[in-house]
Amino acid sequence: MTEPALRFQQGTLTLEGWTAEAVQKVFGKSIWSWDARSLLWRAPAIAYPGIEEALASKSEGTTNYAQQWQTVNFAKVSLPELRAEQQQAVDSWLASRRGLVVMPTGTGKTEVALRIMSETMCSTLVVAPIRDLMYQWHQRILRALDYDAGIIGDNTFNLKAISVTTYDSACIHMPQLGNRFKLLVFDECHHLPGMMRSDAARMSMAPWRLGLSATPERTDGRHDLFTELIGPEVYRLAIDKVRGKSLAEYSIVRIPVHLTPEEQARYESLGLQVAEFMRDSLENDPDFTWEKLCANSAVDPASRRALNAYRAKQAIEDRAAEKLRILEDLFRLHLGSPMIIFAGSNAMARDVSRRFLLPCLLSHCGKRERLDYLEGLRDGVYPAIVANQVLDEGVDIPAVKVAVVIGGMSSTKQAQQRLGRILRKSGTHSAILYEVVCQDTNETIKSRKRRASDAYSGTRHRRL
Amino acid sequence: MLTRELAIVVYEGSRAHPDRLTVKKHSHYVDYARRMADVYARGVGRTRNEIHRDVHAIFALEEECPPRRIDAFCKLLDERCEYNRDEAGAAAKLRQQVFRAAAPLHPLVTEADPWFEHNEQATKQQIATSLGMSWEDIDNRLFADIIEFHRLNEFKAFEDPSALLSRYNVAQTQVALYDATHLTVWATADFKTVLRYAKLARLMHVIRRSSDGYRFDFSGPASLFTHTHRYGVAMAKFLPGLLSCRGWRLQASLRPPRWHGRIMLEFDEHCGLSSEVDPAAQFDSRLEEHFFERWGEEPREGWTLSRETEILHHGQTVFMPDFVLRHESGRSVMLEVVGFWTPEYLHQKQQTLAQFPDHRIVLALAEQHLQSFEVPTANTILFKTVIKVEAVLEKLRSLTF
Repeated sequence: MTEPALRFQQGTLTLEGWTAEAVQKVFGKSIWSWDARSLLWRAPAIAYPGIEEALASKSEGTTNYAQQWQTVNFAKVSLPELRAEQQQAVDSWLASRRGLVVMPTGTGKTEVALRIMSETMCSTLVVAPIRDLMYQWHQRILRALDYDAGIIGDNTFNLKAISVTTYDSACIHMPQLGNRFKLLVFDECHHLPGMMRSDAARMSMAPWRLGLSATPERTDGRHDLFTELIGPEVYRLAIDKVRGKSLAEYSIVRIPVHLTPEEQARYESLGLQVAEFMRDSLENDPDFTWEKLCANSAVDPASRRALNAYRAKQAIEDRAAEKLRILEDLFRLHLGSPMIIFAGSNAMARDVSRRFLLPCLLSHCGKRERLDYLEGLRDGVYPAIVANQVLDEGVDIPAVKVAVVIGGMSSTKQAQQRLGRILRKSGTHSAILYEVVCQDTNETIKSRKRRASDAYSGTRHRRL
Repeated sequence: MLTRELAIVVYEGSRAHPDRLTVKKHSHYVDYARRMADVYARGVGRTRNEIHRDVHAIFALEEECPPRRIDAFCKLLDERCEYNRDEAGAAAKLRQQVFRAAAPLHPLVTEADPWFEHNEQATKQQIATSLGMSWEDIDNRLFADIIEFHRLNEFKAFEDPSALLSRYNVAQTQVALYDATHLTVWATADFKTVLRYAKLARLMHVIRRSSDGYRFDFSGPASLFTHTHRYGVAMAKFLPGLLSCRGWRLQASLRPPRWHGRIMLEFDEHCGLSSEVDPAAQFDSRLEEHFFERWGEEPREGWTLSRETEILHHGQTVFMPDFVLRHESGRSVMLEVVGFWTPEYLHQKQQTLAQFPDHRIVLALAEQHLQSFEVPTANTILFKTVIKVEAVLEKLRSLTF
């Protein structure tokens, strides 16, 4: 019989030197599976807390080679005093050390997490949705905990007791990292339950897990997985509780734009193509759906033409020339007030950037360029910046009071996130969100959907 | 390899059919491939965007070709390119200069008036002059670090146009395997190569005897708990190695996202896919070949020699001897040739062999690497440049069963 040993291997736990009877007696049957490929017992790494407890209380003589985390002492913690609701979030989480903290964007989720890190003082991995946010966490940890965290992602692999990474990198590297961290922090954790990404949680042994989100609900219903992967919801702060307190009052101004006659003509003819195709298809197949069209487009030239027409139509809306003229008016109107422009595509973001020579913050921007733009906007070096997806979530932006949406998706989550961006309390000025929407096109419909979200309820709508 | 977004797979019943160009249906694609290679060959100095647009234009009149297929061609051609990615960060620096110069002049208006006096065109010219460049030049370079605007430095053409098409067929099969949860290979030959490539791709195996060879089931550690396609990429990486082997049949279970139920992908050595990796033979040394020929097909003292027919396995430890000697009495001895070795290597090998105490295994060691190191003599033969038949027979005679 080999020496009884618990090991971490490629995102799983292995147990050697145990008979089936012993496993059954100590663990009950469900945790371990016999792996005939390697002739040992194997379990998902996420099952570690239960395994460790059973080993400690009911058995002896098994060497634990798996656990590789450590205590971290922060030399200097400089965190602001938490607001009552933030402190409540910290306390609720600390009671069980597993679970979700749901707070609207702009209410200081990061401070909650940093406070928790300063209390738990252990190897911690922070997982952020994108590179930019990963770097931002690095900065925040440096400032608050005086710790130069390791970076895993963006072609860097610098592993430290406190490290930051992205969901994609976490998914790739967790088979190697899963035994190194006692605490996992999932920022904007609604990104986690994807089929592959959830491995970032499953392949880790971490007993302590914190999920942060403003909007944990997912349209695919996978948010039920949170309980399994992170833990139950331990704290929720509703957006209406904080409006006017930590968040500013805001109004939404919708500005309809019209396509130019050429754009309009092309838009209509493309629309006709799509409509005709759908009508013909429905005649042949009453259950025909848009999804079917997309699926068929790989093999059926007619579907492909219809799909291309649809995309061309979208591109016309997205990049309508009139939007640039409206922007010019808004820049005149708000001269001296920093602004953020949200574009619907990278191409449109670059169109705006080229037209007005404004910094354009896209996902390719390096760490230094990103900082230059954001700090430049805050310090008044740049009058405005334009962004696509990159600012959608959690990126710390200076207190901007004017934002313009000139295109984008219709999902509620995105609308909430975007609103969160501009709703930072600063003085008495109320924030304005402009929505520049093509009239009589799909964008009007999207805008209506956006406004259906609870973040928009009770706001004023006016037209120029 | 292609990205998932470029995959074209048709699911029919429970079968997957990755997109496939055939001589019968797509012979005219050879001409397309030639024209695509031309676009790239003449594309030095142009942006990726421009090159891709021109490649798409080649197919303007081709009803049958989905845009994804063209994007996949571009990806495969791009893999043979070196683009200027502006690693020095010149574009980012230029952007900063331009945006900072423009900031105090904001907003750049279409028509200047007394309140907003910075006309777009004039201001751009003015900034260009201050940077000592033309505005067209600036506009060209402003986003040169973005992947679509990278400029082509060098293109290494495929050996001929049809090579791109073969590469495409393999690539589409590979990308279909990204969704694979399990892979089964039945092999009648080249076991060693199959397992070697699987190991390179970091796959775990289960080995079973089949009627005329072996059945290998490949998966990864976490496959034990869920039908994860986490190891699909590893399976895709394994494919070119398998394609270089003889006598195999493959079956993959796929679980495509948003698709309920299991899909099978099956093909064998006659599938027409060609591998770009070197054929299996390259692994083997001349030594074994020579010894095999010398021994011949007839039994010697009752012993018959066969090559690479046996796999010993215990968990993930595998030992595949170069030769198996079978005696007419039913006894068998395995012979492993070790041409180049170090004491550490030998030590590891002995440890592996210790996992198979029920087998007689003889090692033939090259004498030239023998240093002051003690070699256990019980199961070894030393040789100088060739393995002598007589030396092996002598060892066989000395073994007691």
